[in-house]
Amino acid sequence: MSPLRAGRWLAAIPMAALAIATVYPLVFTANVAMKTRHEYVLDRFAPAEGLRWEAFATAWSSADMGRYLANSLIVVTGAVALLLLFGSMAGFALSQLRFRGSRLLFLACLSALFIPFQVIMVPLARIMGQTGLIDTHPGLVLAYTAQFLPFTVFLMTSYYSGIPPEIIDAARIDGNSVYGVYGRIMLPLGRPALLSVGILNALFCWNDVLIALLLMPSAEHRTLMVGVTSLRGQYSADIPTFAGGVLIAAVPVLVLYLCFQRQITAGVTAGATKG
Amino acid sequence: MPTTATPLRTPVRARSGTPTPRRRVRSGRGAAGTSRSERLAPYLLVAPAVLIIGVFRLYPLALGVNFSFTGDGERNGQAVGLDNYTVLFDDPLFIASMRNVGLLVLLLPVAVAIPGLLATFIYLRVPGHRVYRSVYFFPAVLSPVIIGAIFNLLLAFDGPANALLGAVGLGPVDWLGDPDVAMYAVVGVHIWATFGMALVVFLAGFATLDASLIDAARVDGASLPKVVRHVIVPGLSRTIQFVVVTTMIGMLTSMFGLLYVMTGGGPEGSTYLPEYYIWFQQGQMGRPALASAASTVLFGVMLVVGLAQIAVLRRAGRED
Repeated sequence: MSPLRAGRWLAAIPMAALAIATVYPLVFTANVAMKTRHEYVLDRFAPAEGLRWEAFATAWSSADMGRYLANSLIVVTGAVALLLLFGSMAGFALSQLRFRGSRLLFLACLSALFIPFQVIMVPLARIMGQTGLIDTHPGLVLAYTAQFLPFTVFLMTSYYSGIPPEIIDAARIDGNSVYGVYGRIMLPLGRPALLSVGILNALFCWNDVLIALLLMPSAEHRTLMVGVTSLRGQYSADIPTFAGGVLIAAVPVLVLYLCFQRQITAGVTAGATKG
Repeated sequence: MPTTATPLRTPVRARSGTPTPRRRVRSGRGAAGTSRSERLAPYLLVAPAVLIIGVFRLYPLALGVNFSFTGDGERNGQAVGLDNYTVLFDDPLFIASMRNVGLLVLLLPVAVAIPGLLATFIYLRVPGHRVYRSVYFFPAVLSPVIIGAIFNLLLAFDGPANALLGAVGLGPVDWLGDPDVAMYAVVGVHIWATFGMALVVFLAGFATLDASLIDAARVDGASLPKVVRHVIVPGLSRTIQFVVVTTMIGMLTSMFGLLYVMTGGGPEGSTYLPEYYIWFQQGQMGRPALASAASTVLFGVMLVVGLAQIAVLRRAGRED
């Protein structure tokens, strides 16, 4: 056995342990959610005595999670739609069209990548307050769009610059306007990138807590993640219900991950390997 | 040259490999002619993105810097010079948050080395490598809020972490209640939650690596550490730089959710980071101008990180 082969088998043991450590916290939480309070106090680790869904039902109804979920869905859908539309429009123009100032505009979009939300949150909250957008769904949709647009424009520009210009020339000769080329050629061709960027943006918006906390202060407008932060105080004496509420909020993301794992990792690595 | 690079390079250039960007669809050619609307089309296409980014990202940055030189409360709107910055650097809470930034910088090599090493083993096809990739990545898709809530259970004083320690005869640790331990606990959870992100970036970098070099080293009987040091690290220098910068930015800007859920900045302010301090001053204390000053300092720290990256890249570019 070569040293490398031996090393591989040696490495497999800690790696398997780490894989278990990665999954276990979620398994533990699911197990806790299936327990009664009494079971939990007696023994945290023992498997639950059966599949009990009561904690989930209690968390769903008494913690108002349905409303939070609706808020999240509205805001995430709106933001992802705007991001894909504006991102693909700008990406097409910046990668394939020749016009004065395009390079400057591309750099302006790119420079915003390096401005973290924490740096602009105070003035942004003020702008949102002055324009009456604070504590409204459109306001949060706009904030998310602004937050993730630089990344989206960058990825779409980089994807579209890989499309051979001959395709576009041919479409132009066939009599398409620039908008026709966008709608009939670029949008369909961009589907893989749009899917990947769309899912990634949906995850980013769905998982955010700071922006929502800042711009959606009232209780009835809470997004699901902000709702989760209040579970702890609400169910400090009822850990199974707390665990159930946390899992309800985690399930949509886990489903998304299981279905679109390849697109998600492609989007994450695109920033590193492209450009 | 490997295709790995940072977003700093424009895609047009990197793709075509020539200094002149390739731009087609000239107005004046093709059947659609040179109508006014055709000439305006590119501007209309970029307008929504540029306007939104300008109004909600670039303008607030300028506004915030400006804002940091004005007063709070009774002195609202008045120019106060550097007063906010003086207050800031006298505030033990802010000093604590900056000290924690220093701690993050010290822990950065660990946060990069762990995914780098794991990616190496996955690349070398450790038994089960296909499974590890998906399993390791999955916490990275969960919200910090959910991760934090789960670890609130695991790290509770009477929780599983301490039960595990007890089983091997070690005393219970007050993970989130001891000022000397809490920050390490939170950073540890952050690394647990995000190492999968860096891992897939490393794996993408490995895909660009020349496999025959590693094969040659293996045929020569090189040990694993030697292969890593002399073949893998030099070949992946750009990927490593990218991971270093994104990991650092991640530690500075995406731990709010964890801090908010797990410690609330406590115990005794020991887990404050600048981002939490900004939120606290703005949202809880009603001192937006002071918060703006902290934002400006944070932006300065991020700029230093970014410029250091560019400097390193330039040097590496010359070595190529």
